[in-house]
Amino acid sequence: MSATQRKTKEEVVENLHGVAREMYKRMSKGEAPTMTLPVRTKNNIGFDEKLGVYKYGAKRSIRDATSLGSARQLLRALHIIEFIEEMIGSEKSSTLREMYYISEAWGHGKFGSQNESNNLAEDLEIVTKCLREDFKLRPEEDGARMIGNLTLNERNRRGEWMRINARDDVGDSGYGVPYNVESEKIELVEHDIDFIMAIETGGMFDRLVENGFDEDYRCGLLHLKGQPARSTRRIMKRMNEEWNLPIIVFLDGDPWSFRIFASIAYGAIKTAHISEYLATPSAQYLGITSDDIEAYDLPSDKLSSKDVEALKAELSDPRFADGWWQEQIQMMLSLDKKAEQQSLAKYGLDFVTETYLPEKLAEIGLGL
Amino acid sequence: MARKSSGMQQASISEFFEKNKHFLGFDTLPRSIITAVKESVDNSLDAAEEHRILPEISIEVYKVPGKKDLLRLVTQDNGPGIPQKSISKVFGSLLFGSRFHTIRQTRGQQGIGITGVVMYSQLTTGKPTAVISKISREGSAIRVNIGLDTKKNKAILSNEKRFSSDEVNEAKGLHWIGDHGIRIETLMKAKYQRGKQSVHQYLKMTSIVNPHASIDFKAYDEEGSIIDEASWPRVTDELPRPVKDIKPHPHGLEIGTLQRLLRDADVPSEGEGANTPLRYFLRHTFSSVTNPRAQDIISKAGLTPKDKPHLLKPDQVNDLLAAFTKVKLTAPPTDCLSPIEDLLIKKGLSKAIDSRFVSTVTREPKVTNGNPFQVEVGLIFGGDLPGDQPIQVLRFANRVPLMYQQGGCLLTKALESVDWKRYGLDHPGGRGIPKGPAAVLIHLASTNVQFTSEAKEALSDNVDVHDEIRLAMLEVGRGLRNHLKKQKQKAKAQEKFELVNIILPEIHDKAIAILDEEPVPLAPVITRIMNAVFLEEKLEWEKETKVTRASVEIYNYTARPRAYTLLSTWPEREGVTMVENERGGRREAKGLWAWKLETLEPGTSTTLTFTVGGLTKGDWSEFDIFFRGAGDIIGATKMDEEILAEMLRVEELEAEEEEVVIDSAPPSTQIEIDMASVETTPEVIIKEDDADGTEPDEGWFGVGRGEEE
Ligand SMILES: Nc1ncnc2c1ncn2[C@@H]1O[C@H](COP(=O)(O)OP(=O)(O)OP(=O)(O)O)[C@@H](O)[C@H]1O
Ligand SMILES: [Mg+2]
Repeated sequence: MSATQRKTKEEVVENLHGVAREMYKRMSKGEAPTMTLPVRTKNNIGFDEKLGVYKYGAKRSIRDATSLGSARQLLRALHIIEFIEEMIGSEKSSTLREMYYISEAWGHGKFGSQNESNNLAEDLEIVTKCLREDFKLRPEEDGARMIGNLTLNERNRRGEWMRINARDDVGDSGYGVPYNVESEKIELVEHDIDFIMAIETGGMFDRLVENGFDEDYRCGLLHLKGQPARSTRRIMKRMNEEWNLPIIVFLDGDPWSFRIFASIAYGAIKTAHISEYLATPSAQYLGITSDDIEAYDLPSDKLSSKDVEALKAELSDPRFADGWWQEQIQMMLSLDKKAEQQSLAKYGLDFVTETYLPEKLAEIGLGL
Repeated sequence: MARKSSGMQQASISEFFEKNKHFLGFDTLPRSIITAVKESVDNSLDAAEEHRILPEISIEVYKVPGKKDLLRLVTQDNGPGIPQKSISKVFGSLLFGSRFHTIRQTRGQQGIGITGVVMYSQLTTGKPTAVISKISREGSAIRVNIGLDTKKNKAILSNEKRFSSDEVNEAKGLHWIGDHGIRIETLMKAKYQRGKQSVHQYLKMTSIVNPHASIDFKAYDEEGSIIDEASWPRVTDELPRPVKDIKPHPHGLEIGTLQRLLRDADVPSEGEGANTPLRYFLRHTFSSVTNPRAQDIISKAGLTPKDKPHLLKPDQVNDLLAAFTKVKLTAPPTDCLSPIEDLLIKKGLSKAIDSRFVSTVTREPKVTNGNPFQVEVGLIFGGDLPGDQPIQVLRFANRVPLMYQQGGCLLTKALESVDWKRYGLDHPGGRGIPKGPAAVLIHLASTNVQFTSEAKEALSDNVDVHDEIRLAMLEVGRGLRNHLKKQKQKAKAQEKFELVNIILPEIHDKAIAILDEEPVPLAPVITRIMNAVFLEEKLEWEKETKVTRASVEIYNYTARPRAYTLLSTWPEREGVTMVENERGGRREAKGLWAWKLETLEPGTSTTLTFTVGGLTKGDWSEFDIFFRGAGDIIGATKMDEEILAEMLRVEELEAEEEEVVIDSAPPSTQIEIDMASVETTPEVIIKEDDADGTEPDEGWFGVGRGEEE
């Protein structure tokens, strides 16, 4: 795996300098400075057969300093590069939000919004083929929670390795996944489970914990907290690759959950440059499916116009190209219904662990 | 004064008024107070203007304690005052006005106005109106209470009292300070309101079109505390041009009017009148009809100068009317009109409404149905004006604000007929009032303003006026479009400047710092990015020296040397001059100056400045730069030589006209040229003129008197 090969500090700095060098070279030729980067839209994302994930295609765009907006972007990029180099040198890290505030001091290179600084950091990842972690930039977003009989080593602030079992050494809220889950920070030690179940909502996660589902079904439970953070997706990927554990995804039954699944399995547009590093193509969608809404007669809501729009967009999304997904999407459109995970409570609190999940897991060969 | 008394006439329609008070603007309680203020203020402005006095007007409205909808109105002016013997007629009889039978632009026209107020007061409260008048040549003021006998159209006077100015007794209603003026105190059933149709709005609009007037306004509640207050000080000491009475102009005359004039023709029985009565009639009854033109009209109508006006047969009257339109006549004299003039409109608008851009047009006077009229339009844009609502339409007729019946008014219709989308305003469906952060002022000055009703709130349709307003609108519309286009261009240029002057050097410095590299020259990069010549212009008011400084900076961001001649517009007119102008240059046309610039090497810039004096702050807020030379300049327009040639032609023509006006006695050669264009043999006419040598018309032979006298 090329991208999963971590870069040394020197390589990171060298790659960052490449960006400044492109600008410098152009200026010394009497031309407007530029920054070349892949086009980051849906139609420049393609399926990488070899890796089994969706990645940016070959389309490149050149951001050149002939308009004020682009010129500002270049200047900001240079400021970020300088800032990252400083952090690497002093072994510090900062959150993206902190960087946004630090940029206040950058004069004309200051960001207009947090979103702008996040996007530019992503741009730099893409052009330098480095990771945000290499840049010492931390996301604000929460990592996932995990519960189950699996053991990790985590290097703490003092630089010591701590051994943590995510069933015995944690409270009810589970083990909190840090933002950096690379090998310098986390080691996967051992486990005694058969699969990982990734769950969308906190309520459902807590329900399964309370009902002891992890023990009954020999699995690790993982709370995604909505659209999963990079570190969440990365640790799932690692557990899948290093431990060979299947990743089973249990979400609400609506167009947005479909997208969460797609980002887990195939990658997201925003992170398509590191898809092979984050995506788990073998992940399986357990539910709630469109069939489930009918089969279990679940309490449901009518689709909103935004839902319908999202579903229609998904029909042409390469990540949903296979027949099963096309059917599910079409079915949801014709049912004009969506349902939440927790609607299963219609049949009692234990219905999900005693009936629904056992039945669904049996379907894919993971039943008891 | 003499003219005043002789010109006053009266008619008995008091009863009519009582039945028709709604026509006269007293139909609703909120409107009644506005109408009363309006009648009083109109009169004050008219009187002050006629007597060349800078008006100072104060208006006070009091809510009467304990009475619902009862208001006391006190107005005062510093006008000439009214002689004691005329007071009862002015305030107590209808159709008594000084200008009932003259053709001239005045606010008041019908002689109904102020008597209507007195009458309304009488009808709704049973109380008389108190009038105090002071005229300059009398040492004391006179106070009279005026009630009305509405059946006999007669004033009932009471409490007449003379008092001197140091004898102020508020309790007795005696109050006068100043050398001359009128104070009116009246009680009426009315309702005080705020908003679009209010005394406040009416006065604000009045102040916009009367920049020479100082107007003070206060409104009090029952307890006597001020609830609304405004003061609009005068912004110019220039009084509106004195207006003159004029004779009707033949163009657009209606058959009925012509018949009446022919019938009433007053032709002397001796001299020219006896020899050539028709020609005499034409020359002396109408404006713009000179001797040769009269001859021309007569022959085109198939008549002879000897025909008797009052004996013309209907066919002949028709022919005469038709002949009028076949003859080219100079426009009627326009000194009977008093336009505000675009500069003062600009000032008036700017002081009343905050905005970014003002464009004004005063059209040349035109004639409709023999009446001269003139259209003025002002458009303001931007600033605090709301962007999502219909624009404000400020309508005026002879400087009087029109506040009601906007939809049915000719001025509004003409405004709506313009496709405003093309000029940068939102105009859904191209119908109705356009939307946007703008306000439009429309002023019609005319010797005969035609209203849809006696309430004088909406102008009735007239094709000629409509077309003039439309043209004026298009003109200010073009100004707006230009302005918006320029703003856009400016913003774009500004961005480019920021890019190459600030951001690019920072990119360079940061990049070499990160890479630890040697600096590289940025000039070629800048040239590459800009690849154009840019021009930035600005105007600044300099307080100490009281000049407006224009500076034009031009940057050559191309790879080649450039040589240009720049041309700038400036507000050239009498009293306005260039003060500093180091580069010299030359005058190309009226309001257009040209400078040949030194060659601009790539990557260099130069600045052109000049200052203009004789203006006040804000008079000059926008100018255009044109250029001659190869390659475009962003921020300037290539000089269209054809347009320049056209400008010069117009200027020449204007200069000629001016000459004619200035020595109102054309040299004799001029006569011969005029004669030559007359179809009848010139000799005959000259002979005739010679023949009746008893009364040489001096005007024609260069003594310098106007021909009308
Ligand atoms: N404040 C004043 N100062 C001096 N003269 C006045 C004043 N008010 C009225 N007059 C004289 O009284 C005349 C009658 O005024 P009135 O308002 O009744 O009629 P008007 O102004 O001629 O016409 P309109 O009916 O259109 O108002 C005026 O023409 C003017 O000569
Ligand atoms: Mg009047």
